[in-house]
Amino acid sequence: MIKVDPALCIGCLACSNVCPSKNIVRDDTIEKRTISWKKCGEECDLCVEFCPARVLTLVAESEETAIAFELVACRICGTRYATEPMLRRIEASLPEALQKDSSGLAWIWVCPVCRRNIEAERATREMVLGRSRSVMGDRDR
Amino acid sequence: MSKSLVPSVCPYCAAGCGFYITVEKDKATGIEYMLDHPASEGALCSKGNAALEIIYSEDRLRHPLVRKGEGWAKLSWEEALDLVARRLSRIIEQSGPESVGFLSSSKCTNEENYLVQKLARCLGSPNVDNCARLCHAPTVVGLNMTVGAAAMTNPIPDLANSRCIFIIGSNLAENHPILSRWIHRAKDSGAVVIVADPRLTHTAWLADIFLQIKPGTDVALLNGMAHVVVNEGLTNGEFISKRTRGYSDFAESLRDYAPQKASEIAGIPAGDIVRAARAYAISPASSIVYSMGITQHSTGTSNVVAISNLALITGHIGRPGAGIFPLRGQNNVQGACDMGALAEFYPGYRRAEDPETLELFSLAWGTAGLPAGPGLTSTEMMDGILEGKVRALYIVGEDPANSDSHSNRIRDALESLEFLAVQDIFPTATAQLADVVLPAAAWAEKEGTFTSTERRVQWTERAVSPPGEARSDQEIICSLAAKLGLGLQFKYPDAASVLFEINRLVPAYAGITRERLGSCGLVWPCPSSEHPGTPILHAQGFKFEDGRGYLVPVKYQPAAEEVSREYPLLLTTGRVAVHHNAGSMTRRSPSLMEREPELFIEINPADAVELKVANGDEVTVESARGRTAAKARLTERVKRGVVFMPFHFPGTNLLTTDARDPHAKIPQFNVAACRIARRD
Amino acid sequence: MPVYVDISRCIGCRSCEVACQRVHEGRGHVNVHYAGDHAAVPVFCHHCQEAMCAKACYTSALYKDGERTAFAVDKCTGCGLCRLACPFGVVWTDKLAHKCDLCSPRETPTCILTCPANALTTDYESASRRARARAAMMVAHGGRR
Repeated sequence: MIKVDPALCIGCLACSNVCPSKNIVRDDTIEKRTISWKKCGEECDLCVEFCPARVLTLVAESEETAIAFELVACRICGTRYATEPMLRRIEASLPEALQKDSSGLAWIWVCPVCRRNIEAERATREMVLGRSRSVMGDRDR
Repeated sequence: MSKSLVPSVCPYCAAGCGFYITVEKDKATGIEYMLDHPASEGALCSKGNAALEIIYSEDRLRHPLVRKGEGWAKLSWEEALDLVARRLSRIIEQSGPESVGFLSSSKCTNEENYLVQKLARCLGSPNVDNCARLCHAPTVVGLNMTVGAAAMTNPIPDLANSRCIFIIGSNLAENHPILSRWIHRAKDSGAVVIVADPRLTHTAWLADIFLQIKPGTDVALLNGMAHVVVNEGLTNGEFISKRTRGYSDFAESLRDYAPQKASEIAGIPAGDIVRAARAYAISPASSIVYSMGITQHSTGTSNVVAISNLALITGHIGRPGAGIFPLRGQNNVQGACDMGALAEFYPGYRRAEDPETLELFSLAWGTAGLPAGPGLTSTEMMDGILEGKVRALYIVGEDPANSDSHSNRIRDALESLEFLAVQDIFPTATAQLADVVLPAAAWAEKEGTFTSTERRVQWTERAVSPPGEARSDQEIICSLAAKLGLGLQFKYPDAASVLFEINRLVPAYAGITRERLGSCGLVWPCPSSEHPGTPILHAQGFKFEDGRGYLVPVKYQPAAEEVSREYPLLLTTGRVAVHHNAGSMTRRSPSLMEREPELFIEINPADAVELKVANGDEVTVESARGRTAAKARLTERVKRGVVFMPFHFPGTNLLTTDARDPHAKIPQFNVAACRIARRD
Repeated sequence: MPVYVDISRCIGCRSCEVACQRVHEGRGHVNVHYAGDHAAVPVFCHHCQEAMCAKACYTSALYKDGERTAFAVDKCTGCGLCRLACPFGVVWTDKLAHKCDLCSPRETPTCILTCPANALTTDYESASRRARARAAMMVAHGGRR
């Protein structure tokens, strides 16, 4: 049976991905992720080995456990994109200086789609200005 | 496992990009880029990259089918061809061969197009046409009249040699993307780019001068520019006196087109017209690039002639960097026209009403009684059906139910046909209306030549076998011909043998033999087997007796439909990068559909506020001819009063008008009046 | 070295997207973004020197291989940390992670070969030269092209 330390589980996708017997089930809705650890015949210990946070152990007797994580909303567009413990772990692994981008945005708390948009906007800012001025001029449209 | 790389030409647009299909065990498993291709240097746009998705689509037609009740029944090839031959023969017997029409495919090879028009004419029907009628017919008519040849005058890479590129009515950034690499090179050398379009397209991003004209006002703009050139003494006097006719009448005709007047009509500042005209005229080598924005109007032929006039009075034609670039749409529409699959021309642009033409082909084909043209064009065939004059149609690789304007009328016509046979690779909307459907091979499943927009004839190899019982169009046409008693004239063991016949009958293709078609193809005219091909046209003179081109005065006429109180918005139509024409191929390609999944309409935000429409709302768009649903996209790209819809999805052509250009018979796809209401 | 984009050349045709998807069995790692009506740019992996995706990866599936940020798919557990660690949002996860691998072991990335507008390159010198020439031109023309 799989034993989870609920305080330390970060809600990632590793254990449910690596389990060959589908004993770990993940259910993702728009707002929530629920991970359920079912009865396990202990044929392997892949989940234990590959848990990034080392929160799993194999024990003789245990209840079937489930943990629900509310997904964090992107600070710009509101899309739910990650569990909070995963984001905190990223934060903790980076020096503070790298946690904000050149415009002061705490990018970890922004979803990947918005991150791409920001990058694209930054890259095209001058081009857009130059083109809109030269092509549209000061004309009334 | 042995992998082979089979050279192929992209089946989508007429840029004619080459690439290799990786074949393993008769399956097309990938694409490798052809880095030494002269036009593309190996580049390939999004559609080309997705091309293999068509081959293995679930939807491929695999068996001959006959309509049975509400559904279809499978037939063997023998039964199907017998049936088609029988029905066609009966109708020809009863009401003559003029009551049968043939639509050839601008996606089929030159050999296949040649065979379709040969079949039609050997049966005695003058009614053969192809979808050029819907796209560059004004180019065929207009440029043949003014400069003696209807094709792009310079090669695609030659754009890099231009110092002023005037792009009017073309969104090449999305529809002929590889042209942009050559335009960028020209810009790197200081070239000026002028773009005229009602929309701020991706192509307009390249512009130094952007002329956001009102749809349908191109003649006013072009005449306005010509007025500036003439009145400011920017004409090329030597060229005019040595190489043209009709200058004084032409100059006189420009009196009414002073920049101020042109500006009022076109809706752009007079100053911009003057700047554009000066830049175009003064630059040492200038090119005009154009496409549907010029041709798909009731004034399409006049639009093309106006372009030709501008090029002739400035002498910007017949040398590197200076030319007229009509960008053809389909991968082989140039070839379909060269092969005479046109109502008014036999192969090689010989006029269909000329007795000498008929004599020549009678001799060549060993048949008497060839019909004198001009026959009914594809648009007129639809009229003919509704008038009871055309009773049967044989359609190869075309989808008029989606491609023609005023879809409701076209569907009525096709549904009322006594007999409709469709030869295609997919069950298109047109095939759904047929009596008999014949499954054809896709481009990679057969061999033959395709002619790109720069007149480059390229051989494409057969890479894989067609699915099920599908056969190459050549095989189908020849088998059908045999059933119709023409077996002798249609005995060809392979595509190369058809090309051999073409070599002898189409002077421009005389030297384009199978043996010489290596990796880069050959550019026509290529009149003999030692001739290297002719990248630049009109260098020595125009194709008329005295070598002089014609300057033909054209008057501005308003588009055939204008906005009204009932229909206050001006609808213009066009394309987007990831789709192609009526979408029968691209709408079946998952990687393209995921990027543009549905029909949308671009609305200026100020107009949208008045209509109470927000971005993403479902709306109903309605014109005098029909209505359709679309998703609203608010954008400043279109001016107030103008809306835009792509025609890749069924629905847009329910709205378009069938008002036509009187000379070229092309429908006016680019101007229609409509209204919009939000769907709640 | 990542793939550099000459933004003045990008025509927003999405060929790079479709090609990348094609050579990676349906999982592409380029996204073209449109900046209003005036420009487009493909966004893809920068192959950062200090790759945060590699820092977040606890199995070393993501690692630096010279200038390239490389990916060994057989070490990936699909945890999803790398996707959240990338400041530019250019690591994707779909059961397993995927991101731009410069099409290795091929010599030239596919996007560069396919780009009709010739807008992509791995040649830093030429990309940088073009960008600076453009910037100089803009400055000289007071912000207009």
